[in-house]
Formats: sequence, C-alpha cells, structure tokens
Amino acid sequence: MTAHPRLAALLAKFGKATSVRLAVSAALVSSTPRLAAAFGDIGAFDPRVLLTGSQTDSARPSAPARWAVELLERTAAPARLHPGSVRADDPAIVDEPFLYWSGDTEIPPLTAAEVAGLRRFFALGGTLLADDAAPGAQGDVGPFGRSARRELARVLPDAQPIAIGPAHVVFRTFYLLERAEGRIEGHASLDAIVRAGRLQVIFSEHDLGGALARSTAGSWQEPVMPGGERQREHAIRLAVNIAMYSLCSNYKDDQVHAPFLMQRRAMAVSH
Amino acid sequence: MLSSHLSPSGDLPHWAVWLALALGTASLAMLVVEMRTERRGTWWIVVTGALAVSALLAAVLRPARVSARETVVGSRVLVLADVSRSMALSGDSQRPRREARDRAVARVQANAQSARAVVFGFGDGAPVALSTSSPQAPDESTRAPRSDLGAALRALAASPEERPAAVVVVSDGRLDDPPEDAALSSLQALGDVLHVPIHAVATTRTVPPDASVRRVSAAGAAIAHVPLPLRIEVGCAGGLACDELEVAARELRDDGPPILLASGTARLTDGKAEIDLTITLERAGSHIVEVAIQPPAGDTIPANDHRLVTFAVARERVRVLHVAGRPTNDVRALRDWLKSDASVDVVAFFILRTQTDDVRAPQSELALIPFPVDELFREDLPTFDAVVLQDFDAQPYGLEQYLPNIERYVRGGGGLVMVGGQNSFVAGGYARTALAQVLPVDLDGSPNADGADTSGFVPDWTEEGRAAPLLAPLRKIVGDDLPRMPGANILGDVRPNGIALLTHPTRRTATGKRMPVIAIGEEGDGRSIALGVDGTWNLQFSELGARTGGRGYGALWDGLLGWLMRDPRFETAQLEVMGGCVAGVPASVRARLLPTAPSELVTLEVAKLDGRGTAFRGNAKRAPASASVDFDVPGLTEGAYTARLSMAGAPAARLDFACERGGDEWADSRPDAPRLEALAQATGGTFVFADDVASLRLPKPTVVSVERHVMPMAPPWAWSSVAAALLGIHWIARRRGGLS
Repeated sequence: MTAHPRLAALLAKFGKATSVRLAVSAALVSSTPRLAAAFGDIGAFDPRVLLTGSQTDSARPSAPARWAVELLERTAAPARLHPGSVRADDPAIVDEPFLYWSGDTEIPPLTAAEVAGLRRFFALGGTLLADDAAPGAQGDVGPFGRSARRELARVLPDAQPIAIGPAHVVFRTFYLLERAEGRIEGHASLDAIVRAGRLQVIFSEHDLGGALARSTAGSWQEPVMPGGERQREHAIRLAVNIAMYSLCSNYKDDQVHAPFLMQRRAMAVSH
Repeated sequence: MLSSHLSPSGDLPHWAVWLALALGTASLAMLVVEMRTERRGTWWIVVTGALAVSALLAAVLRPARVSARETVVGSRVLVLADVSRSMALSGDSQRPRREARDRAVARVQANAQSARAVVFGFGDGAPVALSTSSPQAPDESTRAPRSDLGAALRALAASPEERPAAVVVVSDGRLDDPPEDAALSSLQALGDVLHVPIHAVATTRTVPPDASVRRVSAAGAAIAHVPLPLRIEVGCAGGLACDELEVAARELRDDGPPILLASGTARLTDGKAEIDLTITLERAGSHIVEVAIQPPAGDTIPANDHRLVTFAVARERVRVLHVAGRPTNDVRALRDWLKSDASVDVVAFFILRTQTDDVRAPQSELALIPFPVDELFREDLPTFDAVVLQDFDAQPYGLEQYLPNIERYVRGGGGLVMVGGQNSFVAGGYARTALAQVLPVDLDGSPNADGADTSGFVPDWTEEGRAAPLLAPLRKIVGDDLPRMPGANILGDVRPNGIALLTHPTRRTATGKRMPVIAIGEEGDGRSIALGVDGTWNLQFSELGARTGGRGYGALWDGLLGWLMRDPRFETAQLEVMGGCVAGVPASVRARLLPTAPSELVTLEVAKLDGRGTAFRGNAKRAPASASVDFDVPGLTEGAYTARLSMAGAPAARLDFACERGGDEWADSRPDAPRLEALAQATGGTFVFADDVASLRLPKPTVVSVERHVMPMAPPWAWSSVAAALLGIHWIARRRGGLS
C-alpha cells in the first residue's frame, strides 16, 4: 500500500496494472508533486469492440482487456483496462481512433446507418482491426473474414486490401517481428486497406484475440497451434505493435530509427 | 526693346521670296553677259534693265516696314545638386564635399544671368527644389540615402513643367545611377530622357585615406538553417597601405554579445578585393549581421569599416523537435498533423518503454532506440525552430540538466510548446526550473502542489482568445464550440508578456483569476505556449470532430505553430521602418494592425538590441477606419534596434532593424569625376571641376516679340505700274540699241 492518500486514490481509479507502474514511478520520484497525474487516461489505447448486426460481444470477449494489460505491462503506453464497445451506428463510434471487430461466423450485411457510421470513423483517420476468430487451419479466410471483407468493401469502395509483410512499420512499432502470428500461425503477412498512407483496416486471419483470451480462472483460454507458447508470445507482440501503431502512427518509419533497426535485423538474421 | 526693319510682304512664303530673288539675280546676270557679247547699246541698256528687274522684284515682294517690341527670355537650366549622404564626406582641402557643391551651384546661378537657373536636390527618387535664398542646414542637404540621377531625370521628364534647355549636375560622381561601369549607350539614354545636354560639375578631386566595406551581397534569399554565401567587397584608397584586410561577419543578438558567423582574409589588388563568407542564420525573422574589417592605420572614415545588414530570414521548412513522454491518442494526433504538413520537418522521440516495463524480450527483438537526450538538448537544439514537449517528464530521462539550455534557446529566438498530460508542467517537475522562466504561466513549486484536475470540462474562450489571429482558423471551423476535455494540468497566473486564450470554467489560480488552459507568451527573442490539456485530439475524434470533418485539430495547431514561428498570418500587427533608418535622422515607424486587434491604443518601444537602454517609447491611438498607426521616432544613434508594438490583450509585434551613419553612400568614399565626365561627353554637355565652373557654357536666351506693326511702303498697284513703265523703257532702249 502506498503511504500517500492521493496516490491511493489514483490506484483505485486506474486499476491494478496501472497501479503497479504508478507505484514504482512514485517510489522513484516521490519527491516531486506529480500525484494528480493520469487525467490523460482518456487518451489511452482503447481496444473498443465494434458490434454490428445482432452481435452483442466479440468472439473473444476477454481478449481486449488482456490486450490492454499486456500493453500496460510491456510498454509506456496507457491503455483502458476495461475496454468499451460501440455499435457501428452509434454516434460514439467517432469518439476514439481504434476499433476491434472480431467474429467466428458470417455477419449479416451492414445497415445503411452502420455503413455511414463506419465511413465517419474512417474519414477521421480511424483504424479498425478485423480479427477472424475462426480461420482455416492454414490461415484461410473464415466466414467472418469473408463477410467482413465484403462489408468493408461497401464502406470503403475506393480501396482494396493489400498484403503487408515484415517491411511494414506495423511489424516494428515496438517489437521487431518477422511475421504475423495468432492462435493460428497462418500466413506470414497481414492484409490491410491503406488510405492516405495510413492503415485503416487490418485483416487478421490468425485469430489474434484467441491468443490473448483468458478464462475467468486466469489461464489462457485457447491453445495456440502449432507453435505453442512461443507463438502466443509472438501473437501478443503483434497485438502490442498494432496498439502502438494506433498510438504512434508511423513513428518507427522515421529516418532516425533506420540505422538501429537495420543493425538489429541483421543481427537477428546472422544468429 | 523697340526695333524696326524692312520685310517682304507677309503673304509670301519664304520659298517664293527666295525664288524671286534668284530669278532677279539671274536676269541681271544674263543682261551683263549679253552686253559683253554684243558690245552694242552699252550703259543705258544696262541701267534700264537693272531698274526694270528691281522694279519687277519690288512688285513681287511688295516690301513693308515692320516695327516690333521684343524681349529676351533666358533659357531654363536645371541645376541638379547631389544631396546624398556622400556629400558629407571629406573632399578637397579636407572640407565637406557639400561646401564645394554649394559654391558651384552659387556660381552657376551667378553666371547664368541670361538663363533661368532652377536648383533641385537629387538623391532618392524625384528631385526636390532647393532654396538658395535660405541655405539649408548642412545635415538636411546630405540626408538622401541614395544618389539616383536617373530617377531624378525621369521624374523631371514626367513633370508638366517647362522643359529645360540644359541640365547641370553638381556631384562627387559617386552615383547609384548611372553606375560606375555604365556603358556609353546607357549614358546617352540618360541624356535622351530630357533630350538636352547634361553638363557635369565635379565637386571633389581628393580621395580620402579610407579602408571600407564597399558592398555586401547575398546569393539568394536568407533561409533559416541554410548556409548563405555572402560576397563582400572591400577596398583601400587614398594612399593607405593595405595588402590584406581581415573580414568578419557577426550576428548581433539581444541575448548576449555578437556571435561570430564567419571570418576570412581579403587580399587586395589595385586597392580592392572580394571575399566570400558563408553564414548560417538559425532563426527566421529579421536578423542583423555586422560585416566588419580591421582597418589599417591612417583610416580617416571609421564609420564605413563595418556595415549593418538586415536579413529577413525566411523558413523553407519548419524544423520541429517533438518529444513525447508516452504514446497516447493526443501524441498520435499531433504527430499525424505534423507529418501531414510538407513544410514541417519533424524529428520525433517518443518514450515507448520505461525502466519499469517488462518487455519480455531481449534488446535485439525490440525496435527501440536510445533517447539521445544529450545530443538533442546540448548539441542539436539550436537547429530546431520549435520544441514540443508533450506529456514529458524531465526527471527520468536526465532532461533536468538541460532545462537551462532550453531556456536560453527560447530567449534566443526558439519556440517552445508544452502540451499537457500526466507528466507535464507541475507534474513533470518543471516548476522552479529554468524552463519555467520561459513558460507563459506560473507553476506552483510547493511540495504539496496539485499537478492536475481530473474532472472533465469544456474550456471557455477569453476575449483575447476570440480576437487572437492564431485561433481565428479554429473559430472559423468550430465557432464557440469546443470539445469536452478529460482534465487539465494545474497552471498558475499568466506571466508578464503572456496572454490566456482559453481558460478553465471553474478553477481559479491562487490569485483568484481564471486558470489558463491555453496561454501564449514571449521571452527574449522567443515565444512559448502552454497547452494545459491533453485532449485537443478530441477536436478530431468526437461528435464535434465528426461534424467538422476533424479540421478543427489542424486549424488549432496551424495557428499555434504558426504564431510560434511568427507567421505573418497570425500576427496582430506588422511593423515597418518607412524609408529605412539613418543615424541621427528622425524615422517613421508604421504599425499595420489587423482589424480584429483588441485595442485601439498601442505602444511602441524602440530599444537597443543589446539591451542598453530604451531609445523611444510612445503611445498612439488608431484612428477610426484606419489600418495603421505611425510613430515619429527621433534620430537614433548608429546601431541595431528592436521595435516592439504592444497593446492590451494581444502579443507584442516585433521588428529588428539597423541604423547606419553612412550606409551605401559612405561605403565607397572615392569621388568619381571620370563618371561625370563620361556622362557629359555622352550627352553633348560639358564637364568641369567646381573651381572652374565659370567656364561652363549655358544655352543662349530666346528673343520673343511682344508687339508688332507692319506698314507697306507702297500699294501693290503702284509697284506694278512702276515695274511696267520701267520694263517699257528698257524695251525701247534695247530696240534702239539694235537688240531684240
């Protein structure tokens, strides 16, 4: 427990994971008056679940919260420990720049209001991760993935998905990743709709949420195939990178990073 | 004057008169030839023939007596006296050149008894009439910053006044137009302006012993951070011995002594040399560079050993250092906006991992690089136009030791934005630091100080915020609406030279004033902005953002960064020294105000750039419907100055400028009589030195008849009758003499 009442109030407000960091930080720099911090939590990464049609939750309900915890524990980025959800036709869809859309079955066609809501979201520069929770064993597109691509083609008829591989900045926003992985190893690359140089839709046929999902008992909910826990770790790293892309954009494309990253890539290859 | 003379009848054209005279002469000549050939009839045939021809000629010409009253009008002669500053330099017998000029003008007037001499002074632009009856003060006749003879002649040609018969130029010959190496054709063209000869009187023969910076020219416009080559021409004359001259270029600053930008040695040949020095100016705006030589012993004009050159430094690209303490939606929004502007060059460093984070991977599997705090804030800081510290805690990254550098950077002309967040302002440990001294708001440095208020709110516009040009683009998009902010950093009162643009609706500072949310301010040469929230990204992602297409966010930062960089679009006023500044001569400073300027009353303060005293301070009120205010500033001493215009509720406008004693006119002190001589020869005029001006030949006067009477000597019928009778007598004489 902390000895300072203000810090205790903040711990109560931001939950356990945040509390750990704040406690450590406060211990390190306890002489400075920084106890009213964290009002900027509203700007934290929020893996909001997008709901369409009759959906009431994502295919992996526990995945967004775990995603936030992993981000908080591993990086300096703030995250919402209790991510929200928003319907595609809700005006609040434009309140945050990130959406997480997950499903394991085919989704019905979007209504006109849902299409309009998603268009407003994309017009402001938002990013959507469409995560197929039931892809084929080899990473083939499942029913959700197919229908999501079909409906997003209606929302963004001017752009087609393209494959993005390890050369794309999303594979180095925090971790250096060689390929995409989730609960399913699948294809090495992701598909994405890129508009004005920005990833607006990321398609994952790897069940990223499946690798993140935890049971109420606190254990991993789904086994990861075929790579086991090493693959799960890579899946978590990809999730962290996607969150970092949402918060930092293409920061790691800056020239100042280039020599460091090239050197580390070279070391990884030689090892 | 009354005069009388004979004249042929006025109805005859000249050619008819001459034809009649020619025919009469021819008739007489034929008669003489005939007499010599025939040798008969002799003398009386000749007499009657001559009489008959004369009478016939008189009948044709019908002579009349003309009586006229006439007057002599002197030709109009324009005397153009050089009134540029070079005429204050030493001339012959070590007396000012203006004395020789004035004597020469007086002699021209005295010698021009049969001419109308009108004296003008020429310098910069159209010539001005000089009164010779009431001599001007020496300073007033040597004030012009240029000696542009071409402009003076063209202005006279465009005048509706009577055209002159001649022009007399009295000068030392050191002219801007025609230039030193003008071609013959361009000199002739000057004469063709008025289509009269140009006589030239040189005032000076003696070259003063002088070493000087004759010319400073830049290859292109001055761009911040971009090396700018200067070509500097230096010279030695008047018998000074100087084979080499040390040349240095220094920037005059208000935050310390001059900074040496470049130096070199010029090696002189035939008394002159050119040297190239490359300087780099790091800040946009007006900057004053002193180019100076180390003069040799015996130099008699120290004022031209240095020149003060004002550079209006522009930005090709704005270099911004963006440092963020942690990645958030606010960081993403600002980065995306900065990267979307092609005119902004962003160097970004975001803290992605702290020491307490468990990355669960070796360093080789991370895309993280060290934060080069030492390089950025010790070495590279001056290369940036603006620094944005966003939600950044100074302590964990060792920035505290560099905060004095940032303070000096701002005072030296840099821009600083501190963006709110849990690691900013008081919470970031910035209170009672050097950096806090250049923020526009006070920070509470007490141990129990609150860092933030986490309750949501919608900021209020202040009157200054509504009128501020930098928020005009935002107001145009969102009007009075602002998105809800999730909380605010606790800020103190706005400091002197600061202005609050947005305030918290409920919180008050320790003194009871509304707590600022956005405040701007100036310190030294630089500017700073305190943005006490981290929720401006809600201008993009919110219901308001969706309604406005997210354009409000870009509009806000366009104004903030533009104001920081002194973009004219966001300045409340623009200052200009009308006609430049000459040491010792009163100057006029004009302030052009935006219509939305919050106050009619403005204050101008002119101070030495080095901070050694205020030279002028005055108040003025803008007249209704007027966009500008003029201040009459008394003569300033030589040096660099900064003018600041302040008004209630708006940031100060600033202009740095220089006052030189001689300027271009003193840069080359050598008189140039050969140029005047070439001009006179090219235009058909005469060249003389001032002590020989009496030999100048001025145009002759014109005779004008004011009254005229014509009296025929006889009526036409009488002339015809006499001519007929004499022709008859001549015919009879010829018959009797045996001629046909």
